[in-house]
Amino acid sequence: MEFLELTKEHLSMVMDLEQKLFPEDAWSATSMAAELAANHTYYLGIFKPDLVGYAGLSTSVGTFSSDIQTIGIALDERGKGLGRQLMQKLIRKAKELGSEQVMLEVRADNPAAIALYQDLGFTQIDVRKRYYQPAGVDAIIMRLAIKQPIVLGIESTCDETGVGIVQGNRLLANALHSSMDEHSKYGGVVPEVAARAHLEAIKPTLEKALKEANLTMAEIDAIAVANGPGLAGALMVGIGAAKGLALAHSKPLYAVNHLVGHVGADVLERGAVELPTIALLVSGGHTSLLLVRHLLNDVELLGETIDDAAGEAFDKVARVLGLPYPGGPQIDQLAADTVPSIRFPRGLTLPKDMEKHRYDFSFSGLKTAVARHVEKAQDAGEEFSKADVAASFREAVVDVLLTKAINACRDFGVNRLLLGGGVVANARLREEAQKRCSENGIELRIPRFQLCTDNGAMIAALGSQLVMAGREPSGLGFGSESTLEVTQVQTL
Amino acid sequence: MLLAIDTSAGTSTAVFDGDKLLAFVEYEDPFGHAENIGNAIVEALTIAKITSSQITAVAIGKGPAPYTGLRVGMAAGTSFATALGLPMYSVMNLDAVAQSFGEAKVVISTDAKRKELFVAAYDLGERVFGPAVLKPEELDQFAGFDSIEGKCNAKLVGKYANWAIGKGVDLSDSTALYLRSPDVAPSAGKRVTG
Repeated sequence: MEFLELTKEHLSMVMDLEQKLFPEDAWSATSMAAELAANHTYYLGIFKPDLVGYAGLSTSVGTFSSDIQTIGIALDERGKGLGRQLMQKLIRKAKELGSEQVMLEVRADNPAAIALYQDLGFTQIDVRKRYYQPAGVDAIIMRLAIKQPIVLGIESTCDETGVGIVQGNRLLANALHSSMDEHSKYGGVVPEVAARAHLEAIKPTLEKALKEANLTMAEIDAIAVANGPGLAGALMVGIGAAKGLALAHSKPLYAVNHLVGHVGADVLERGAVELPTIALLVSGGHTSLLLVRHLLNDVELLGETIDDAAGEAFDKVARVLGLPYPGGPQIDQLAADTVPSIRFPRGLTLPKDMEKHRYDFSFSGLKTAVARHVEKAQDAGEEFSKADVAASFREAVVDVLLTKAINACRDFGVNRLLLGGGVVANARLREEAQKRCSENGIELRIPRFQLCTDNGAMIAALGSQLVMAGREPSGLGFGSESTLEVTQVQTL
Repeated sequence: MLLAIDTSAGTSTAVFDGDKLLAFVEYEDPFGHAENIGNAIVEALTIAKITSSQITAVAIGKGPAPYTGLRVGMAAGTSFATALGLPMYSVMNLDAVAQSFGEAKVVISTDAKRKELFVAAYDLGERVFGPAVLKPEELDQFAGFDSIEGKCNAKLVGKYANWAIGKGVDLSDSTALYLRSPDVAPSAGKRVTG
């Protein structure tokens, strides 16, 4: 006996059984085909080796609720607990998807089924009179409440100390302390300054998050912490804090990948990350293009920057233009309403580079080109438009980021693009992403800004996915992993 | 029941019931603080045969010490105490080392990296100098003091905390003692063309 997920390939055998089991009100082959093919449904069959039973679950994004669509067991296979096993597997799936309840309706004249559902924890919440026609039988509406885990996440990979709390896929708190101001006089993030700031901020940020969620530590079910990639000294503060927290109340601890956390942030926006998706993560520390087929099992790094991160390039160019740190907002502001006229180079876009670096980025040459342009004008005592330089630089960054991201969507036949990281604050990047995605029939996802920049909620959300999927906690022996690969979603 | 945590050198933890040491765990590795801190806490609790809920106070070493490792123990102690709503006592590591020398005239030094030392001097049980960063040759100024190369651990931190609490010494300031500014200077930016 084998349980297998059903697809539209199984349509004819499902329909054979459906018609036998429900001669009065069987679904049409068209409806069943749509159910089996839909993204938001999960159908499971029992094979022996022929199909002897099936059941389906539907979970609409953003509802935090799943419905049992149907369940049927062949007549000569009843009374063997197969229906119970199917139901248990669907309930487990609903938990994994972050659902807070499972709903079903059952014929009032089917006491065996009602008893099974009650035994599984469902309770009656309503009756629909004469729902099943033509027999005119009432439908009993039943509900199973699921208590999703409350997970606290700690983020300390760079200059933001974040503590977030989620329950399942729901955001409860997202407290943040940034040391950005302390870095401004140095023109960039200084690792030792960041690490010192994390230690100072960890207690107040933790207290702020608990207050925001109106919870005590004892009510937290699990702790998650980003153990990389990032600045080693900064990561170690978060790891130390997470281990102390976990041990104080004997909570399970999950070490998770910061970059995958950025992708996971979208579950907090609408209750799920729709997959597969291409993800473009752009910040002061990262410029990475990912193909995510499954958040926990299948994350692939397509490319990344081979020198400066995009956000770093903004900071460096801002300095060339005499603007303060952080450079992104400064350049964005200066470039607003200016039509770019200078053609700065697009790194790694020449045919020979594209062979080897199709999805990689390089911004160091661009920064140098901008500096040359400015120095040349200054040396010659010529007037030049800072706004034009800012707009043209910004255009070059945005162009190369989106060209490669859209290429990845096309190459892999994935019609979804998710943006994450602090550079997403850039107005031009968002505007151009919207335009190019709609031209190419690609759905664009940009979580709200507080979930795009580094934050603790995204770490909690990824931890929560691991808990809901029944993954084992990490041991206590993990350390910081500055160059953690995106394929390693959890460090055990 | 006091839990002491110190990562000023290796990673160490200790549990005290009043003045009585119930457990002491030490990982000597001078680097693996983030890796070892969790197990060091669990092992100390296990040896002491208690659970975390029986701990009533936390003591941590707050330096001076190499920064990266020091912060791990401080962060763990801070979050452990915060999670359980416990008082936290922060101990200056050189004070903790000096305590075992009683009223002797001693100058305690520990490695501060970069060929420098973290130094404090004591006489009659009082700190008379430091903590400060000195070059090794600058120790010559402490004529008449016994020069001790100290290494702190959670046993010394816990012992000092117990003594200080009894004396009413204020150990509430949990600011790490770095004694140096972050090692950077603002850059003026360089030209790219000659």
